[in-house]
Amino acid sequence: MAERQKIDARGAFCPGPLMELIAALKLASIGDEVDVWSSDKGSASDIPAWCAKVGHSVVEASEHDGYWSVVVRKAK
Amino acid sequence: MSSKPLYVMLCSGEHEKIQLAAMVASVAAVSDRPVEVFVTMNAVLAFERGKSPAERYQGGHFHEMFKTQNVPDAIELFGQGKMLGEMKMWVCSMVLDLKHWDHDKHLTEDLFDGPMGLAKFLADSEGGELITI
Repeated sequence: MAERQKIDARGAFCPGPLMELIAALKLASIGDEVDVWSSDKGSASDIPAWCAKVGHSVVEASEHDGYWSVVVRKAK
Repeated sequence: MSSKPLYVMLCSGEHEKIQLAAMVASVAAVSDRPVEVFVTMNAVLAFERGKSPAERYQGGHFHEMFKTQNVPDAIELFGQGKMLGEMKMWVCSMVLDLKHWDHDKHLTEDLFDGPMGLAKFLADSEGGELITI
């Protein structure tokens, strides 16, 4: 059964949140989701761009009070 | 579709430039792009084994900001690029000769793939995109 884990990378600067996401995806199974929280504004566009490049799916992206939540599903 | 390999020639000892090289190399490597980094001139000094971050980096305005905020350490970023992507790091053989250093004795552990000459790096880079920092 697919799982969802949260990574709280708020306070880390570029490319810290992206690297934390990639490290988590490496250990995840196909279909699992990672919800990365980032206060780095660039992550909101960097993470979807990275997913499009390497073939993972962005399930949802939303802005909260001072941070972004981007949920990525491991696709391969 | 595989991307053109990226070749990064890092020669500056300025913290801001080393940081940029680490960001470019690691992000490219984790984005399915093969990366090779050639470290030469003053940049090599930042990779000296046993140095603390305070001794390792020198720079200007952003260097001061990097020290006080949660910015990923450049050496760690290079390491993450190697661990999570396809990336190789080479140190300039001429600089090692000048310093009388061995790459596996005097430089940061588990980061460099070995020494390399400039001619070999340039020949290899003909098949990709080369940037110099």
